[in-house]
Amino acid sequence: MPREPRPFREGLLSLDPPRLLGSRCPACTVTSFPARDFCPGCRAAEGVERAELSTEGRVHSFTVVRQAPPGVEVPYVLAWVDLPADDVRLMAQVVGTAPEEVALDMPVQLELTPFGDADEGLLGFRFRAGVAA
Amino acid sequence: MTLAPAHVAGVGMVRFGKYPADVTLERMAAGAAREALADAGAALTAVDGLYVGHVFGGPVAGQRIAAQLGLDGAPVSNHENYCASGATAIREAWVALAAGLHDVVLVIGVEKMTDRVAGGVRPDPGDLDAAVGYVMAAGHAMSARRYMADHGATREQIAAVAVKNHAHSVHNRYAQYQKPISLEEVLGARPIAEPLGLLDCSPISDGAAAVVLCSPGGLRRLGIVGPVPRVLGVGLVSGSVLTGTGDLNAEDVSRRAGEEAWKLSGVGPDEIDLVEMHDCFTIAEIVRMEGLGLVPHGQGAAWTADGRTALGGRLPVNPSGGLLSRGHPVGATGAAQVCELTWQLRGTAGGRQVEGARSGLAYCKGGTVNGTDGGSVTTVVMAR
Repeated sequence: MPREPRPFREGLLSLDPPRLLGSRCPACTVTSFPARDFCPGCRAAEGVERAELSTEGRVHSFTVVRQAPPGVEVPYVLAWVDLPADDVRLMAQVVGTAPEEVALDMPVQLELTPFGDADEGLLGFRFRAGVAA
Repeated sequence: MTLAPAHVAGVGMVRFGKYPADVTLERMAAGAAREALADAGAALTAVDGLYVGHVFGGPVAGQRIAAQLGLDGAPVSNHENYCASGATAIREAWVALAAGLHDVVLVIGVEKMTDRVAGGVRPDPGDLDAAVGYVMAAGHAMSARRYMADHGATREQIAAVAVKNHAHSVHNRYAQYQKPISLEEVLGARPIAEPLGLLDCSPISDGAAAVVLCSPGGLRRLGIVGPVPRVLGVGLVSGSVLTGTGDLNAEDVSRRAGEEAWKLSGVGPDEIDLVEMHDCFTIAEIVRMEGLGLVPHGQGAAWTADGRTALGGRLPVNPSGGLLSRGHPVGATGAAQVCELTWQLRGTAGGRQVEGARSGLAYCKGGTVNGTDGGSVTTVVMAR
């Protein structure tokens, strides 16, 4: 029996609409992903708020992984994705284009993706090449 | 100097490589330890405590080693900081000597990897990076791609790190690989994480390295007269949570580890004659040397290709052959670097001797933590 869809880690993302959940410091405006209980910018330990992040990303760097530990299917594209609207950089896989077509500064768009065993209903995140339709 | 130095009475290694299952972690560790004790002229009964660095050795690996070596009953501690584990054990031993707790200690770095790690190393499953498919090679590949774009460096310049370090390794009988490789071989090797190929990556290895460290009283106990190489200080920092979208290769964690090293040792960066650098991947040697401030930002690739970091160059890096050639049994590497610095400072490094070496730095970087610029970084400063 498939279970209710939910993030593979609590508090990591919201499902409708699909958004990454970070944290933002009202004092210094630094945004973090994943969310932290402190501000890594000004070190404030209180008042840090949860924040939905932009879905529009840009590839800052990437690699095509050709070898991985047993059980991990290769190749796949792993990237540092910048979210310019939030001034956040995060690591994620990029799909929707041939590995040879990925390029620096390429626009990418957040999407949710099944995580692990499909019947568990767990959802993770990745980015798809291109801009929002 | 903030703490008294630790005197290196003896060092020893077993050759790094791929060994069958019956060459156990305990056996390798005991082998390296006996060589270090013999080098120091020390009996087991002279040893006050045992510090063991390892990652994959399992619970109480150090005590298992002690029971085979004949140090059963002694104070034994196990130290895990991923690839900086061996160097972290050396730091803790240095602190214990300076505090007056012990006078003669044995430090062992050891790892048995080839029967339990395949396809590359990755973060703990609890780390978010692991959940998106991160493997160490991928991080360094992304570093390399960005470095080339930002600094106009070439793939060939980065590959030159592997060519240089393998050229050094032909003089190191403890190295897993002891033969030169060509630039064409590095560029043509099977891709692992583009743009990096197999020969840009250090191997998965087995091995052990050991160091006998002493206080002045410990040297007297062992009957050692005259100066021996000293560990002046061991810096230790961890990665900081990064904010913003700045330089991917800023290596602030390396800068901070360098500052710790200079502060603790009283040695300045301009006094360093050679570096044993954690070249787990070719690009890593370049950006970490820059982060330390030993090579100008953005020029490390060109320096390597020009031979400035080769034996005979302005600042020799990895005369031992580095992790790329010596092999990288992760918990053993930091101790192996101190073995190399000891031989260099004694002037007994043979064909890979850095002429006139008076002081050296050994750098390890262990692991990754999501959202930060690293796991742990150690910086060992030694002088003769």
